[in-house]
Amino acid sequence: MDDFACPRCRTTKFQNPSLKMMVNVCGHGLCESCVDLLFLKGSGNCPDCKIPLRRNNFRVQLFEDATVEKEVDIRKRVLRDYNKKEEDFATLAEYNNYLEEVETIVYNLTNNIDVVNTNKKIEQYKKENREQIQKNKGRLGRDEYELEELLELEKHINEARKQEILLEETEAKKKRIQRKEALIDELMFSNTDAKNIVNTFAQQAKEEQEEEAKKPPSKVTKFSTGIEFGRKTHTTFLPVPTDDGPLYEYVPIIVDPDGPQPPLDKDITTKGFMSHVRAETEQERAGGFKTTIACMRALQEAMMGLYHTKRSQY
Amino acid sequence: MGSKLKRYEKIEFLGEGQFATVYKAKDVETDNIVAVKKIKLGSREEAQDGINRTALREIKLLQELHHENLIGLLDVFGHMSNVSLVFDFMDTDLEVVIKDNTIILTTANIKSYVLQTLKGLEYLHLNWILHRDLKPNNLLVNAKGVLKIGDFGLAKMFGSPNRVNTHQVVTRWYRAPELLFGAKQYGTCIDIWAVGCILAELLLRAPMFPGESDLDQLTKIFGVFGNPTEEIWPGIKTLCDYIEFKTFPSIPLKSIFTAAGDDLLQLIESMLVLNPIARKSCTECLKMPFFSNKPAPTVGSKLPLPQSIRKIAEIERPSLKRKLLEGAEGGTLSKRLFV
Repeated sequence: MDDFACPRCRTTKFQNPSLKMMVNVCGHGLCESCVDLLFLKGSGNCPDCKIPLRRNNFRVQLFEDATVEKEVDIRKRVLRDYNKKEEDFATLAEYNNYLEEVETIVYNLTNNIDVVNTNKKIEQYKKENREQIQKNKGRLGRDEYELEELLELEKHINEARKQEILLEETEAKKKRIQRKEALIDELMFSNTDAKNIVNTFAQQAKEEQEEEAKKPPSKVTKFSTGIEFGRKTHTTFLPVPTDDGPLYEYVPIIVDPDGPQPPLDKDITTKGFMSHVRAETEQERAGGFKTTIACMRALQEAMMGLYHTKRSQY
Repeated sequence: MGSKLKRYEKIEFLGEGQFATVYKAKDVETDNIVAVKKIKLGSREEAQDGINRTALREIKLLQELHHENLIGLLDVFGHMSNVSLVFDFMDTDLEVVIKDNTIILTTANIKSYVLQTLKGLEYLHLNWILHRDLKPNNLLVNAKGVLKIGDFGLAKMFGSPNRVNTHQVVTRWYRAPELLFGAKQYGTCIDIWAVGCILAELLLRAPMFPGESDLDQLTKIFGVFGNPTEEIWPGIKTLCDYIEFKTFPSIPLKSIFTAAGDDLLQLIESMLVLNPIARKSCTECLKMPFFSNKPAPTVGSKLPLPQSIRKIAEIERPSLKRKLLEGAEGGTLSKRLFV
């Protein structure tokens, strides 16, 4: 949302980091506090185009371009009525025609072309297809259905895993009880020394426990980055290697243009490439942008890969 | 898709970020260790909105970039509602190296790290891409001492004349002055400033300009270089958020980097220039005498790394190496909100 200033109060993101741009059906943006101020009574006119708006229709602006926002809004409204699914059509061509029609309507409304007639068309469609629209409202499309299924499946898998863990735990519990009973049985019916029996059982249990017991979580001595807490008392520095490798020499990167060689940096200004290019403004130059950069990139992109054929890939 | 899923065997969990979890995994086909970044797409609403924007940037740009010093995107695959990106596995990053006070960084070591950074960046700029989030934490290093630039979540093409860019990029401490003044058109110079700050941090072992707010950041910068004027930075007053600061005298860099040689000071001086137009480009920096002079840059295998990494690398050579995640987007939340 770059440096969009609110068109009314001129607040920018820089001045107020928590600035939120809101947008309504007409596609003109306002910041949150201006919305609060202007639409105190719940409704009012858009300061830009004067059409009456309701406050609860304001939403947080998701896209940088407000017209996109407007289109999304209109599309949502149109699709509420035009909610037929592919299954409702006999042939793919029919479905495609239907989609085409929807797109035309959305485009017309977004760009204010023939609004009256388009709205009439929608009304007529609504009348003609009232039943079907109602019926389709509750129905999920095939895509949504698949997505739903996928998420459901994932949930099942997760649950299964949880069940497994639970099962393991109860299993362990059972084992413990069994062992206890066995010990009592031994003590009751065996002839050997009671002390011996208890000892062997205790040993067994201990061994099993040791096997199972996970190592207790070690005490945290590090940050999550792996750096240890505090200064070590005995700082032993790592040895400093002394032998050197080869000295560095600059090797330019060579790019194969796969097309005519684009002009070099120095040619851009001297050979007249710049004569039909808008010069950078003072502000752009102060930010570190030069039009030669844009010109260079445009030229490179125009020439790169011109000789490209499938074979030259290999 | 199923085959791809089986191709990577999970070894351990490395970290979790705002929109992704990172696992260390083994590529069964090649036996390489990789990092798998799984993009979360939990609920139905999110799934309908589609894939996260920063992840999309990473996929889009990294697929076409191949350079020794850029993190390699090896594979992308989808499973159920998830998308996973497979990257080269990197053991650590420069932030850890800088903060580990058992490591001594010699001029040769620093030369090697900066050299690798600039080489990767030169390739990036040559392909018309700005990284826009360079910081020690995003310069990943593996046990072989190869440095790769990672986290392309903010990277973007540059050089479109009418495109307006946001100035809320780059972690504040590494943000160039023109961004702090709200420039909307900028170029490769912003990445160079960040590299300059990283180089300074390698020398000082502490951030050079640890600003607490955007204004404090500018104060810290001008406290070293003095106030910019129209003469040294023409047009500065036309920048959106330009404001006058109280006057600071400039401090000679020699008194800050007391141990640095003249050729190194010259490099810092040409990267940390207030006026973006006067800042040197990657190529110009690489041609500077500091890099070709003695001492030669340390070869990768001899670069100092945190002890834990080297030890494990020696024991289990060469397969299993130590952790450290692939820019799991911890602590960068506030920055991402501006994207």
